[in-house]
Amino acid sequence: MPSLFILVPLLLIVILNLPMKRLRGNIALFTALVLCIVQSLLSLIYLLFKSVHFDPVVPFFTFALSIDRLTLILLCTIGIVSFASLLVAHSTIVNPRQKFIFINLLLIALIGMNTIVLVTDLFSLYVFIEITAVASFVLIAIDKDLHAIEGTFKYLMLSSVATVFMLSSIAFFILVAGGTSFSDVHNSFSGTSDNPFTKIAAGLFLCGLLIKSGLVPFHGWLPDAYSAAPGPVSVLLAGIVTKITGIYTLLRLSTSVFVLNESMQNMLMFIGALSIVLAALAAVTQSDFKRMLAYSSISQVGYIALALGCATPLALAGAVFHFFNHAIAKSLLFVNAASLEKRFATTDMNKLRSFGAKPLVTSVTSLIGFLSAAGMPPLAGFWSKLIIVIALFSAGKTIYASVALLATILTLTYFLSLQTKVFFCKAQTVQPTVSSLPAIAVAEIILAAIAVLIGVCFPFVAYIWFLPLKEILH
Amino acid sequence: MIQNILILSILLPLVAGIAVLVSPRKLYRSILLVVTLLNLGLAVFLFRKDAVLILPWAPAGIDFSLRLYHFSSFIILAAAVFSFLIALYSISYLQNNAIAKQFYAYLLISVSFVNGAVLADNLVLLLFFWEGLLGTLFGSIAIGGKQSFKTATKAFIIVGVCDLCMMAGIALAGHISGTLAISKIHLPLDFLGGIAFILLVIGAVSKGGSMPFHTWIPDAAIDAPLPFMALFPAAIEKLLGIYFLARITLDMFKLNPESAMSIVLMTLGALTIVFAVMMALVQKNYKKMLSYHAISQVGYMLLGIGTCLPAGIIGGIFHMINHAIYKSCLFLTCGAVEKQTNSTDLEKLGGLARIMPVTFMCFFVCAASISGVPPFNGFFSKELIYDAAMSRGAIFYLAAILGSFLTAASFLKLGHAVFLGKPGQSQPKVREVPIPMLFPMISLAAICILFGVFKSWPLNNLIHPVLAGASVEHPVGDSHISLTLILVTVFVLLAALIHHIVAARIMGGAVKAADHIRYAPVLSHLYRWAEKRYFDPYEVCRRIMKGIALLLWSVDKKIDWVYNVLMVELTIISSKGIRHLQAGYYVIYIVWALLGSFIVIILSLR
Repeated sequence: MPSLFILVPLLLIVILNLPMKRLRGNIALFTALVLCIVQSLLSLIYLLFKSVHFDPVVPFFTFALSIDRLTLILLCTIGIVSFASLLVAHSTIVNPRQKFIFINLLLIALIGMNTIVLVTDLFSLYVFIEITAVASFVLIAIDKDLHAIEGTFKYLMLSSVATVFMLSSIAFFILVAGGTSFSDVHNSFSGTSDNPFTKIAAGLFLCGLLIKSGLVPFHGWLPDAYSAAPGPVSVLLAGIVTKITGIYTLLRLSTSVFVLNESMQNMLMFIGALSIVLAALAAVTQSDFKRMLAYSSISQVGYIALALGCATPLALAGAVFHFFNHAIAKSLLFVNAASLEKRFATTDMNKLRSFGAKPLVTSVTSLIGFLSAAGMPPLAGFWSKLIIVIALFSAGKTIYASVALLATILTLTYFLSLQTKVFFCKAQTVQPTVSSLPAIAVAEIILAAIAVLIGVCFPFVAYIWFLPLKEILH
Repeated sequence: MIQNILILSILLPLVAGIAVLVSPRKLYRSILLVVTLLNLGLAVFLFRKDAVLILPWAPAGIDFSLRLYHFSSFIILAAAVFSFLIALYSISYLQNNAIAKQFYAYLLISVSFVNGAVLADNLVLLLFFWEGLLGTLFGSIAIGGKQSFKTATKAFIIVGVCDLCMMAGIALAGHISGTLAISKIHLPLDFLGGIAFILLVIGAVSKGGSMPFHTWIPDAAIDAPLPFMALFPAAIEKLLGIYFLARITLDMFKLNPESAMSIVLMTLGALTIVFAVMMALVQKNYKKMLSYHAISQVGYMLLGIGTCLPAGIIGGIFHMINHAIYKSCLFLTCGAVEKQTNSTDLEKLGGLARIMPVTFMCFFVCAASISGVPPFNGFFSKELIYDAAMSRGAIFYLAAILGSFLTAASFLKLGHAVFLGKPGQSQPKVREVPIPMLFPMISLAAICILFGVFKSWPLNNLIHPVLAGASVEHPVGDSHISLTLILVTVFVLLAALIHHIVAARIMGGAVKAADHIRYAPVLSHLYRWAEKRYFDPYEVCRRIMKGIALLLWSVDKKIDWVYNVLMVELTIISSKGIRHLQAGYYVIYIVWALLGSFIVIILSLR
């Protein structure tokens, strides 16, 4: 069954690229949308019916796939964000050829992400991280705009450093453990606990993943890449791609594959706290909508890293929950940014202010998105931050918990200034070039509804989905 | 059956009060009359019956427990009579007045809370209803007019602070005795018990309106609707406050004449009598003068109960009911005068006795009662109190008899100025008030006479049973009063009359009859300070608080500066610094990443 998540998109790419002109129009977009919906609904249904039993590890070609609750949550998230990204692309990309290319690349990235989530082998993991990354390089530069190419180039350079780290780490593991499957790697930690090569290998792999997740001080590429990418691409990139290739893989490896010593865990927490504070501070004075969102993204990923370093079951459940909420909220905000970019051809907040009143759906959903990201009850983001802070307190990490709490003030500061600058301004008579963007409005409403529903139905969500994760992750 | 009626007597007025708020214009007057009449019927039915109702309500001994016995049934009956008569009066008085609806609702809700507070046999339940009355008190004053919100706030704060003391007292008493049931609490007056006693007494006497918790009453007299004055400070609050004071001193603490608390209570009573009546004497406004008398008369009740002698306690409780009757009636006559002439200023009124003879007769009876003229009811309760005060110390007796002299003098001045003499300026076509306003006045004045002439009925049926369960033995008979004291009283009253005639002749007018006291050498300073409100704890606290508030404000500005300026500047500076680090050169980014990786790998080896 899990292999379907890889095979179906692959098959779709092949079919869409058959030499038939008719397939390249709205049919391509439509089938891709359906695929994303089916993927999220399917994983959701599996999540809801706990009694459905699946074979944990399924051989597929030469690599083995495994599926569990965590995987299902991520597959669901991938489906939702890709869906939103496709809707945005439908509204914002005018050129049909470019749109078709976008769909293809998105499907490739989708395959990559699905496989990253499912594989149980370090080398295959690396390969699919690279596949996803390459697809996203091209996606960022899809406009062939100079600015975007610069952003892509920085991402590429930093990613290549990460590649070097990950490949050398795999080489070490082949030497030490004799294989790259997760179980082999895990055994190499328990068997020869004093072997320095195991530890160096783990450290190297983690460095690669830290670059991919864009945590401070590995974050240099991220603001440029996010803000330079065209609207739908920044939704995909910020919403899910860097999260899956970076922080999710970090979570998976550091909890169930590698055995991290205490100083590594402290280091993760430190990096998390540093990212939270520095990125939030940097976001305060940004004048570009998307750049501010990019820094906010770093700051929010910092929370996940902080919870990862804490590594108690509650903290890990909180990390996964925050991962989901953050993916939803940040995609929503980037969809809003894309909507404004399409209408007013700028993302500079001071210029946006001069355009006066913004469409109602965009401003309301943006309010929901930023309140959820800042952690305002009863929206989704509040609960996940609360769980993380509680986990930190109960683990005795009082200082980190206080940092996590206080940084919320900074988060609110920059989000409030964003909201007041961009949305809460007097109505003016300047008419936007594009009057209505129904596809984007649909994406905004769906994502905002998810953020509100998850928050309001939190007890249900917590006990059905997220708290059982504690068993999987430990 | 009786238990259900107990619950009904609390719920019925409450529901009716809420119904009044939402009912249409035509309906709410009938609701008010019917429900107060029903409440009176219930109170008559419950009179002299015994019942106990205990429902579990909250943990820690807080039960919804009601206890009906002779004392509480007596207070409920009295409150029901007053609320019915004043409801009848206010329907005519507040006709075509926009505040009528709200006032009726507050009146009904207050009746419910009074019934609850009197019946409650649990201190926390008592406090619940007691505080509920604070809400209706605030509302009733606040609807009065433009200025009345300030006065309502003043009343709310003063009574609220005293209720807070009472709350602390309840907590302490409950803690010491281990139970919150009033009928089970019997505490000694040791150190903690003494503190609890004082706190509870503060709650009780502030409800009664004794000094120094009285200062909102004269202000409310001007600002609040008049039926409120006749019902709350004149009647219901005195009933409740003195009822609770009697419960504290008789049941809960068993105050005896030897204890210091007895002296404290008597001193408080004596001071209240003298100072409040001194203020009353120089007032030139009908309502204000009555309100100071309402304070002064509480002093007699405190003095009587504080003596801890049977005669004093009986006198105090008898005085409570007498005072409620005549003071309520006096406020109603004041309302009648105000309704017809649109004025309560003594200098503008005069000669109303010929135009409003019934009102004048009621005023005359009640004024004689309050001054202690035999054979009206006030005379007998005051004589009992004099007797007890005399046996505790001549100084208390002297204070009481001085109060009596000044009361008589001030009512002579009032009656002379309003009803006798030349007609005032602003009364072109004045007539007698309508029957619904006359009926309550006549009824109350009639009770004044009846309770005076047939004093053994109220004493034997209302007052003596109160002491039956308490520690006080030998209930006194009505023949107890000594002849000497009666002669002294009569002499003092005659002196007051002569003083008034002479003073009015010399000073030139009834209104100025007390001016020689107002401008006496030492007293003039005291009066001036009192008029500047130097003796008003609320105003004094307000002035002190203003200074503290200014100080805190300046401190707060500094704290605000830290948050509004310093933190913001720091955030912006550090944010800009971080932005400069993000220079856009990918080489620098790679260097950061490599440095970070170096540290991570070093750490991984540890």
